[in-house]
Amino acid sequence: MRLSDYVQFSFSNLWKMKLRTFLTTFGVTIGIGALVSMISFGKGIQKNITDNFKALELFNSITVFPSSSLFQSLNPDQDERRKVRQKGGKTNAILDEKAVLEIAKLKGVEEVFPDIRFPAIVRFNGEEELRLVQVLPSKIASSKLIKLRFGRSYSSDDEDSLIISNSLLRQLEIKDESSALGKRIEISSIAFDFSSLNPLEFPSFLKGEKLPFSRESYEFIIIGVTESMAFGGPSPIQSDIFIPPGRAQRIKKLPFTNLWDLFRAKEGKLGYSALNVRLSSPKFVDSVKSKIKEMGFETFALIDQLKEIRASFLYMNMILAAVGMIAIFVASLGIINTMVMSIMERYSEIGIMKAVGAGDKDIKKVFFFESSSIGFMGGVFGLGLGWLVSRLINRIVNYFLAKQGVPFIEYFNFPWWLCLGAVLFAVFVSLLSGIYPALRAARVDPVVALRHD
Amino acid sequence: MNNFEVLIKTDRLTKIYASGRIQVVALKEVSLFLEKGKFMAVTGSSGSGKSTLLNLLGGLDTPTSGTVEVNGKKVSDMNKEELALYRRYGVGMIFQSFNLISSRTAIENVELPLVFSGIFKKERSRRAEDMLEKVGLYPRRYHRPSELSGGEQQRVAIARALINLPQVLLADEPTGNLDSLTSSQIVKLLAALNQDQGLTVVMVSHEEALTREFANQIVHLHDGQVLR
Repeated sequence: MRLSDYVQFSFSNLWKMKLRTFLTTFGVTIGIGALVSMISFGKGIQKNITDNFKALELFNSITVFPSSSLFQSLNPDQDERRKVRQKGGKTNAILDEKAVLEIAKLKGVEEVFPDIRFPAIVRFNGEEELRLVQVLPSKIASSKLIKLRFGRSYSSDDEDSLIISNSLLRQLEIKDESSALGKRIEISSIAFDFSSLNPLEFPSFLKGEKLPFSRESYEFIIIGVTESMAFGGPSPIQSDIFIPPGRAQRIKKLPFTNLWDLFRAKEGKLGYSALNVRLSSPKFVDSVKSKIKEMGFETFALIDQLKEIRASFLYMNMILAAVGMIAIFVASLGIINTMVMSIMERYSEIGIMKAVGAGDKDIKKVFFFESSSIGFMGGVFGLGLGWLVSRLINRIVNYFLAKQGVPFIEYFNFPWWLCLGAVLFAVFVSLLSGIYPALRAARVDPVVALRHD
Repeated sequence: MNNFEVLIKTDRLTKIYASGRIQVVALKEVSLFLEKGKFMAVTGSSGSGKSTLLNLLGGLDTPTSGTVEVNGKKVSDMNKEELALYRRYGVGMIFQSFNLISSRTAIENVELPLVFSGIFKKERSRRAEDMLEKVGLYPRRYHRPSELSGGEQQRVAIARALINLPQVLLADEPTGNLDSLTSSQIVKLLAALNQDQGLTVVMVSHEEALTREFANQIVHLHDGQVLR
């Protein structure tokens, strides 16, 4: 039989039972549509995050922590620490200016800046919000780590100006973010009064009295508005307010952002809670990390997590695909049902074909062509359906997120292999579904079939 | 011309159908032969094994024991693939119920064996048209079986059976569903094919009278055995 004959045979047969063909194909369409939109969603999220990480050069950054006893007990990597100690590493090194300079000298290091954040009350336009203020050197603030929507970054470390996120402005009831530029904003820091830290007064703390805090206000001018990051990832880009370090030094503030800092403060060894190290390339990550560890600090590099990030994406994609697979499985049952029904109805026709010289292989191929035609059509339409659904969801999600100041994001990704793979997979599944019907059709005994009327 | 070539030969051909514990002997040690270009009529009451004999000759069924030899080839030893090829090129078969595909036109039905031979559509149509012309149905080639009379349908079936130019035509009660006038027309057509083109014909019929005029050889079957 010629290929054109198989195509003609299967399409004329499918056309004869239009409604059934439509319903079965529709089942495959829904299955493939579900699978495609699920996978493209998984891929879209993954692409957004990894692209963002790359754009922000998060893969060539290392975060350095002081080695506190608490961190040590929480760090599962005990053996490594012991090794460092045996090599003569200082376990109680402080993350101070000296450490910053030392790390800055390492090969491949482009920038070192302390990760300083402190809680403050932001007052603007008559509204108040409690936020973490991040101190960011002007060099970093004007790099591509900070994506500005309006205005500019501060040009020196001593300006009385700050950068604010558009989402915070929205929470402060500012509809038009650009109108905030050039306006004054008040930052009230909460300072911790060590002198009043007396255990005997703890009960009154709990009642909210005699809190050992003092509050001081400082004025800044808004010069820049950042773009919200939908997939922000870790520091240093997540804060809502960035101020230059010169001004920050003069602000009385709570020097900690977490509980460990409180303990370290009590020990009297007060350094930075963390340093951000930026490298010229990810290839320096390992060498710089080991040198920093030799100095007695802890490090965290996102690139080390890349494998785990990839694995977690794989799991996510697998779960999404599994949901789609259920739909495909149901659709394949539909194909089997349709094909078996078709054999019953065409029992004598199969007998006739055999009587005039069709071989078992010819009969099998006719049925395989039929089932794979259903699969092919279902695959193509399913791809279209998946695409339409993803467009719709993308619009709806973006519409709601835009209200919160999140810029437009493409949540779905349709790489070429997904489009091709979806159609091929549909054909493959329908071929599998066609195995039993095709074998059954080939087994038809012409003597019985011709007697059958 | 010396034309005593034996085309069909069966040797102690036996077919036993088993359904559960019950065994039905449909054909019992039938040995016969037919020369090339002859017309054989097989008669007998219903259940005498006529159709079984024809199915075995046509390669639709396989014998329980004994052999079938057609044109020097042992049909009874063929595997499934070889049987399909034998049915396609070696024999043509027509049936009481015509066995046309109802959804296809007359010409498409005639073309069907050529489809499995992998012949191009154009060539198929040309050959099918020629064959329909021969059986006098060229003008009705685009009609579906339901739009044709019984006699016309049987002519389409004959055209289909002969499209691959087989040496043997096997006819299983070809007039069983036809009125007497049409029946005699069909038998005359078969006789003409036999006499004019040298086609070897084996025709099964329970009406002996119908074939007596044309048959060179008449075989009576009774309970699966040949009566002499």
